[in-house]
Amino acid sequence: MLNIVVCVKAVPEPNVANKLKIDPVTKSLPRQDIPLVINPLDSHALEAALQLKKKYGAHITIFSMGPPPAGNIVRECLALGADKGILLTDPAFAGADAFATAYTLAKAIEKNRAVDVVFCGMASSDGATEWVGPEIATFLNMPVVTMVREIVDDQGDEWIVKADYEHGYRMVKLKLPAVITVTRDLNRPKPLSFSGILKARNKEISEWNHEKLKIPTELVGLKGSPTKVTEMTPLESRRNVKLIEGSLQEKVERLVQILSEAGVV
Amino acid sequence: METESAAVFVLAEKMEREIQPVSLQLIGKARQLADELGANVGVVLLGQDLTNDAQKLIAAGADLVLKADSKSLVPYQSELYTEIILKLMVERRPEILLIGSTFMGRELAPLIAARLETGLTAHCIELVIGGEGVLEQRIPAYGGMITIVCPEKRPQMATVANGVFPNPVLNPARSGEVISIEVPRNLPQRIQTIEIIREKLEGVSLETASVIVAGGAGAGDQEGWDQIEELAGILNAGFGSTRPAVDAGWTELETMIGQSGRMVNPDLYIGVGLSGELQHMVGIVGAKIMIAINKDAKSPVFEKVDYGVVEDCRVFVPALVKRLKNTESYAGKVAHVI
Amino acid sequence: MIDFTFSEEQNLFRKAAREFAETEIAPHVPKMEETSRDWDPVITALGKAEMMAITIPEDYGGLGLGYVARLIALEEIAQVSVATAMMMQVGGLGIEGIVKFGTEEQKKKYLPKLATGESFSTTAVTEPSGGSDPKGCGTSYKKVNGSYVLNGRKCFITNSHIADVQIVMAISEDIPDTFSAFIVEKGTDGFKATHEERKVGMRGCNTGELEIKDCVVPAENLVGKEGKGLSIAMATISDVGRGGMVGCALGLHQACLDASKKFANERILYGKPISNLQAIQFKFADMKIDLEAGRLLGYRAAALQDKGERTGNEWAAAKYFTTEAAQRAAKHAVDIHGGYGCMEEFAVTRYLRDAYVLGPSAGTSDIMKVIVARWVLS
Repeated sequence: MLNIVVCVKAVPEPNVANKLKIDPVTKSLPRQDIPLVINPLDSHALEAALQLKKKYGAHITIFSMGPPPAGNIVRECLALGADKGILLTDPAFAGADAFATAYTLAKAIEKNRAVDVVFCGMASSDGATEWVGPEIATFLNMPVVTMVREIVDDQGDEWIVKADYEHGYRMVKLKLPAVITVTRDLNRPKPLSFSGILKARNKEISEWNHEKLKIPTELVGLKGSPTKVTEMTPLESRRNVKLIEGSLQEKVERLVQILSEAGVV
Repeated sequence: METESAAVFVLAEKMEREIQPVSLQLIGKARQLADELGANVGVVLLGQDLTNDAQKLIAAGADLVLKADSKSLVPYQSELYTEIILKLMVERRPEILLIGSTFMGRELAPLIAARLETGLTAHCIELVIGGEGVLEQRIPAYGGMITIVCPEKRPQMATVANGVFPNPVLNPARSGEVISIEVPRNLPQRIQTIEIIREKLEGVSLETASVIVAGGAGAGDQEGWDQIEELAGILNAGFGSTRPAVDAGWTELETMIGQSGRMVNPDLYIGVGLSGELQHMVGIVGAKIMIAINKDAKSPVFEKVDYGVVEDCRVFVPALVKRLKNTESYAGKVAHVI
Repeated sequence: MIDFTFSEEQNLFRKAAREFAETEIAPHVPKMEETSRDWDPVITALGKAEMMAITIPEDYGGLGLGYVARLIALEEIAQVSVATAMMMQVGGLGIEGIVKFGTEEQKKKYLPKLATGESFSTTAVTEPSGGSDPKGCGTSYKKVNGSYVLNGRKCFITNSHIADVQIVMAISEDIPDTFSAFIVEKGTDGFKATHEERKVGMRGCNTGELEIKDCVVPAENLVGKEGKGLSIAMATISDVGRGGMVGCALGLHQACLDASKKFANERILYGKPISNLQAIQFKFADMKIDLEAGRLLGYRAAALQDKGERTGNEWAAAKYFTTEAAQRAAKHAVDIHGGYGCMEEFAVTRYLRDAYVLGPSAGTSDIMKVIVARWVLS
């Protein structure tokens, strides 16, 4: 039976979060309660684990680092079919960049139990660095393949996968244990079911802080982050728009005129 | 080359017998940063048959080229590359390491950064030497710019996409040092790239297109999307997208223009059914005329363009396409180029 | 007294129901609107998504969740398709009769398949003689050789043609003033779904007539005791049928609000979106206050029901309020849309038509008031 880890991030609902703007006066983000959802690419990572569980049998542990409300996301993952959830939550973890995040997650994964494969979404919808998966792999001393779009052979401990590459893809052979970051092409996540939500009642979610992980606060959160945000600057709009007026046809004509003057038509 | 003096390093990439444009752009940028710091520019290149490449890198601004030339380095192998680059970084101790946001770069950069326990910023669109010689790395976010620094750890690492910085003027008369790096043999590898396969080519390359049409969520569905694609076709334009269109499955991630996608440089840009999110708009560098079509008069995109049409693109685009199809019969119509 | 927040688990149920409605139900709505039929895809989807198992006990293959969970699911589904929510809720009516009043044998025989959606159910009470006056029921039964023979006609029965299992109320031919409820299976000789209604709203929700002629029903299909038929029918309709209407009404109401908000933010008049106009804003205020009030009435009744209490009165008040409010909301929505509110591409036209079918379903508003008056004055 496989031991699978899926790293999941609770992110502000992308459709809402994408509209946030830096306040020109305070030079910071306005406080807004945006509902948290599972990072969309992490749903694909979880689905990959669930498909393996169906095929070969597996124990799936969810790891997520975030403030207490992120626990709802972990519960949702259990309702989708994962077996156990571990929420890494601690004020000391706040302000972590990709490095500190990966370090904290890796320490937790290491502490938990031996693992065969770690699935991560290739990037988060907020942040979107793509660094956490590979950095977790480094801290766990495991190999990593990023942007996997298809698992071609998943038997035994030598797998073959297809990963996105420039203008195409690469075929990669890898030896478990390994970290795999996934793209949305990999699979189609199954929806939440009522019975899954019911079954999640009996599944365990643990909360771990830095003491439980036995790591000093200097190595996590803002303190443990080699990078820091120093400034947020709102950007002024840079163009004076002329709105084209009139009926539909008049607007079409005017636009064609503009395009023609520009030498496009 | 002295290991004492500060250095700005670039990890260059060669693909299909060509040095990637982003590598040259980063060398040009590194040259500028290095000049400000009073430092040298070093370039690391891994691959095969690299004999003529070092000179090109020097012509772009490198003072030192460290090249590892071996069959075992093609195709890209993450563990082997990581070990070689890591060793060089530990030896050379550069101040800054820049890597192109190619597929290889995006996988290697964090592997190197994690081993060096240093900071890494993704998809920068601006790099500036700030106070005390620290590199200010700027990324677009939340309708503005965020400045990130790596105050203590070294090297300060950043990835940058193709097209953010200009292509440097190549000076073939420049001189520099070229050192051949030994490639470890028989390194146990748990991961191996077996083969790289190229898939379909795109029509009009986004990076070289002079006219670009980009579509967004306003397309509504695949049918609406196809309408916008038809418009791009009639204008012989590059056809790009924003994230919502990719998420909706109407197009591939590769067509996405923006901070974590492709950077483009058209003369004329038409944004159709998109909201002008900064993440997308920063992907458009230096367009002379920008036009937006969006049904929401309050859409932020209208603050960022020269001409705006407030119409549902699902209504406007077919009307425009129909009209343009009639224009084609006006062959010989005089137009002057901007 | 009360914690007005939903639990994490309830929020997950809501999320699951919403995702289900948007991906599995929404694509079928246009066809259902067009033909007033083509309900098969949504009926199948409901079964597969375990929506029919919500109130069936776990021992019989159900989820054993309660009425709050049911209301959550109905609310979310009704936002996308009131017709589907209606079929689901009336299916739940048939289920309730068996769960609450069925024998062990009946439960074992019918509930597992109802839970998986393999079979569908309904309760048939209404007749041309009037749904508001069930005692005027003309469908009769008589005991013959240890079985029952039924004769009569039912109309306006939701799921008339779909249901495999129907609970039919009939009056005894032998004993005066005695009503009994029977389980009749589809395909039984003398039991036929005949005329299909074409309704102005809730299109695609199967509503029709049943013709019952010398239909022989085995003795073991009697639900509860002889003479208990009316109280069984009334109990299920008042506690579950009305509750289901509340779900339909709340979902429709939310949909009216959402559609209006989107339109008002995009429609420009006098150089600004009409959502800036106070006249329009006041309509939103009315809709919102009604919706919040309706939700409270509904979830309060459901919560009490989950505790095992009889909730006919609370549901009557909630049914009255939410269905009337949904009708007002639909009118507001159409008004906000101006001329576009008459054009079929705009969903609000459907909302208006759906809203007014909410009124007489599971008891008219006037009947609800009769019940509430009795609640006060008794």
